[in-house]
Amino acid sequence: MNAENKTSFRKKVKNTDKKVRWLITIGGYTIIVNIVAIMLFLLYQSLPLSLGATIEKWFSVPSSNNAAKVLVTGIDPYLEVFYEIDAQGDVRYYSTVSKKKIGENKIALNGAEQFLSGAKGSLQKEIFTLGSDSGRIVTGLITMAATYSSQGRSISPSLEIIEDWQVPATNDSIPNHIEKISLSQNEDESRVWAWQDHSGDVQLRIYDADMDEEYNYNLSSDLKGENVTALTLSANAENLVVAGQTGRVYWFDLSDFEDITLKDEFQATSLVSSINYLLGDQAIVLGGTDGSVSTWFPVRTPANLFKFRKVHTFTAHAFPVINIFVSGRNRNFLTIDKKGNAKLHYSTTGQTQIEFRPADFPILSGTFAPKSNAIIVIDAQNKFGLFKLENPHPETDLTSLFTPVWYEGYPDAEFVWQSTGGSDEFEPKLSLIPLIFGTFKGTLFAMIFSIPLALLAAIYVSRFAPPNLARQIKPTVEIMAALPSVVIGFLAGLYFSPFFEKYLMVIILFVLVLPLIFLSIMYLLQRIPDNWKSKLPPGVEILFSIPIGLITLLIAIVFAPAFEKLFFEGNFQQWLYHVLHITYETRNSLVVGFALGFAVIPIIFTVSEDALTNVPESLTSASLALGASPWQTVRRVVLPAASGGIFAAIMLGLGRAVGETMIVLMATGNTPILDLNPFNGFRAMSACIAVEIPEAPVGGTLYRVLFLTGLLLFIFTFILNTLSSLVGDRLRKKYARF
Amino acid sequence: MSENKKNETVVIETNALDFYYNPQTQALKNVNIIIPEKMVTAFIGPSGCGKSTLLRCFNRMNDLIQGSFIKGNIRIHGKDIYKRDVQLEDLRKSVGMVFQKSNPFPMSIWENVAFGPQVNGITNKAELNNIVESALVQGDLWREVKDRLHNSALDLSGGQQQRLCIARTLANKPDIILMDEPASALDPISTGKIEETIEELKKEYTIVIVTHNMQQAARISDYTAFMMLGELIERDETKKVFTNPTEKLTEDYITGRFG
Ligand SMILES: Nc1ncnc2c1ncn2[C@@H]1O[C@H](COP(=O)(O)OP(=O)(O)O)[C@@H](O)[C@H]1O
Ligand SMILES: [Mg+2]
Repeated sequence: MNAENKTSFRKKVKNTDKKVRWLITIGGYTIIVNIVAIMLFLLYQSLPLSLGATIEKWFSVPSSNNAAKVLVTGIDPYLEVFYEIDAQGDVRYYSTVSKKKIGENKIALNGAEQFLSGAKGSLQKEIFTLGSDSGRIVTGLITMAATYSSQGRSISPSLEIIEDWQVPATNDSIPNHIEKISLSQNEDESRVWAWQDHSGDVQLRIYDADMDEEYNYNLSSDLKGENVTALTLSANAENLVVAGQTGRVYWFDLSDFEDITLKDEFQATSLVSSINYLLGDQAIVLGGTDGSVSTWFPVRTPANLFKFRKVHTFTAHAFPVINIFVSGRNRNFLTIDKKGNAKLHYSTTGQTQIEFRPADFPILSGTFAPKSNAIIVIDAQNKFGLFKLENPHPETDLTSLFTPVWYEGYPDAEFVWQSTGGSDEFEPKLSLIPLIFGTFKGTLFAMIFSIPLALLAAIYVSRFAPPNLARQIKPTVEIMAALPSVVIGFLAGLYFSPFFEKYLMVIILFVLVLPLIFLSIMYLLQRIPDNWKSKLPPGVEILFSIPIGLITLLIAIVFAPAFEKLFFEGNFQQWLYHVLHITYETRNSLVVGFALGFAVIPIIFTVSEDALTNVPESLTSASLALGASPWQTVRRVVLPAASGGIFAAIMLGLGRAVGETMIVLMATGNTPILDLNPFNGFRAMSACIAVEIPEAPVGGTLYRVLFLTGLLLFIFTFILNTLSSLVGDRLRKKYARF
Repeated sequence: MSENKKNETVVIETNALDFYYNPQTQALKNVNIIIPEKMVTAFIGPSGCGKSTLLRCFNRMNDLIQGSFIKGNIRIHGKDIYKRDVQLEDLRKSVGMVFQKSNPFPMSIWENVAFGPQVNGITNKAELNNIVESALVQGDLWREVKDRLHNSALDLSGGQQQRLCIARTLANKPDIILMDEPASALDPISTGKIEETIEELKKEYTIVIVTHNMQQAARISDYTAFMMLGELIERDETKKVFTNPTEKLTEDYITGRFG
């Protein structure tokens, strides 16, 4: 090689070096970027959960009616057509595009007759009822049929009168004034009307669609002649709640149309000026004359009765609450006071989300749009105000995710995870605590099982096993790590858990007896003369342990029934239930701990075995040369010196257990309960994500909460890994400076 | 217990000792040597001749090597230490060892010195304190470390670490101290200190030291054994070995003709 060749060769080498260094650097940074990107993505998906509600004024437009009082308003689901019904029976339709009247209908009145009251009868349909000053009750349906043409969608509203009914005249011959009215049409199209007339009587009329029967009731005697200030029917037409002048509230059960009963009555905390049922037919909102706003729902008492309890108190108004509008989509409701101030609340969380002033004058009527994406009101000057409402995730905030929430029907505030229910009215319960608890419960049981086994195995292999055996064990355990967790979960869930249940006593007895037998054998071994013992080749103990295990198993099998009889009244599961009030689930935490242990053991074993093997021989030699026994050497020298690595191993194992999905998914019942009982299951965060994300609507609250769960998991494992390297480093600095 | 010609008590005595690391590797061949009490015996010889192997036979540290075995026997105070009923822990407590490379435990100075007594069953704190102090005094380290007994031993200098290892061995109150090139990794001043310490110790202990440094052997030992290729070539009073060796090989080695 001549000089020139040599320099060009060096150049080439340098160039390659440079390129490779670049490549490696890029690789390293890509990984970091990836991790950060994943974290940012999780954050991006879950952050919208913290967004509050926004209400934005869309437009306001005067009604073309300027005299009559408006009793009912509404808007179609596409926010294209809105309507009003006034005291003269005029129904007018307006376009939100042109903001002009696009049509009208007339409900005929007799002479000077006027409608005094009106109400809507469904959260989904534009069914309404009007009560007149001559005892007429007119019920109708406004249909907003959407037709699609080349110009796009157009809504053509129409009115259909369903029923025109005259309240039978009373004895006093004064025409019946329907002063307050409420209507509910349920899914069977059965209808219930409840109204109060000028004499203060509350009457009830039921049309049973199934039987085509009518029932009429007068509830005045139940109300003890009290003057009624507000009344509401639940959407399923099964409940009527009436508030009296004295602040007393009466709850009628209408589920049996033939036999109306007063189910409960209670004293509200203030005089009630308005009342409304929330979506779900459980909770009611009470608006007080003092401006207070509270929600109540029935709670089971110890006597197995249902009594209304006050659950949340919201930010109060300064003036009496006169209107309560309820969302047909979620637990949102809007309260409006006498001066026209409005507040938007959410019942599950007990939060008052927004306060605003929809109009300059008191509000006569209003409603949520069917999709709850808008609110329409009309004020005393007959001016419409339309508002766009955006409230994507009202049911979650930091408090509801991490603190107990009092859900409808529950006796008290609790941590509950129940993301989906049977119906649209279901109240999602999204507490992360049961999931976090589940993850840690699974991890705990996995660790109880795997840390001792893995560490003992690592110590044995690195320090005691004959080298030939050690060479076999290590790769075998490492193969365990390659076992797909689905397989472990599958075996645990389908085969091991029933087996465990069937042979529970044998297993318990085995676990109890084995150490005893080992200890007594060790005691005996110590008493054998040394020269006799030392004739045996080293490491032969392992051969003994197999027959010992088998014998113990035999003992356990033989004595299990007697053992169960003696200590557990002959049936362990029943004994658990009777004595400890614990139920036994087939797929319980012990099974998961065992299965999860399988996934964790190889990690802890491999990493700690390496750490133990890496303790320099000079240290063990020094210890042995000072007359320490092999176990003393392990305990006093090897373990402290390897403590950094062992700590890291345990942390890595923890990280694996926390993040493990398939095993916990398949080997537990996935019941999200908060219970440390080892014979119960749990639901881990990872398994919850796996189970629920396929069914979570993209961008919905559940979807985002699941992403938040993912983020939490990420943070947990991140903390564990950081801890592992930080504490591991410190321990290594302290003990492993060799 | 036998005696040699100068009426010195023989502590260690080997008899036709062969040592095999494995059936193919014989490291010691027919070694017959006596180690007298309270004297310093130095092993010299070219690298790989089996000095360390022989030394490690005396406290059976070679047992740790899988597949190794010996033939012949070794008696310490007349007792065959390779007999089956010998308790290794007791043997190693009474035959202490200082290694070539200092190997303090990653613990405090106090814990290092107290380690031996502790693993041999002494738990009384005051007693341990006394043992630690006297061992450090004997190891000539007390003055330097008495104010920082609970600092990490790893913060000491190389020479101090080696003297700590000596003190750690002394804490076991052994009969015999085996030293395998204890100063080979140290600077001359530290080496000097170690040698002074050994000078002090031989009043009370039987010392066997491996060294490749012939001046060191000449300075500190009473007896010198010269080994080559696993065989003991010559063993005699140090003065005699260095001035008037019987064997030609010894003379060649001492005069630096090989090695
Ligand atoms: N663990 C071992 N396994 C096999 N051979 C060894 C081992 N240790 C040392 N030997 C061999 O035994 C011979 C003697 O070694 P050693 O006693 O360490 O020599 P010295 O201490 O005199 O330099 C050498 O040939 C060496 O290669
Ligand atoms: Mg050597």
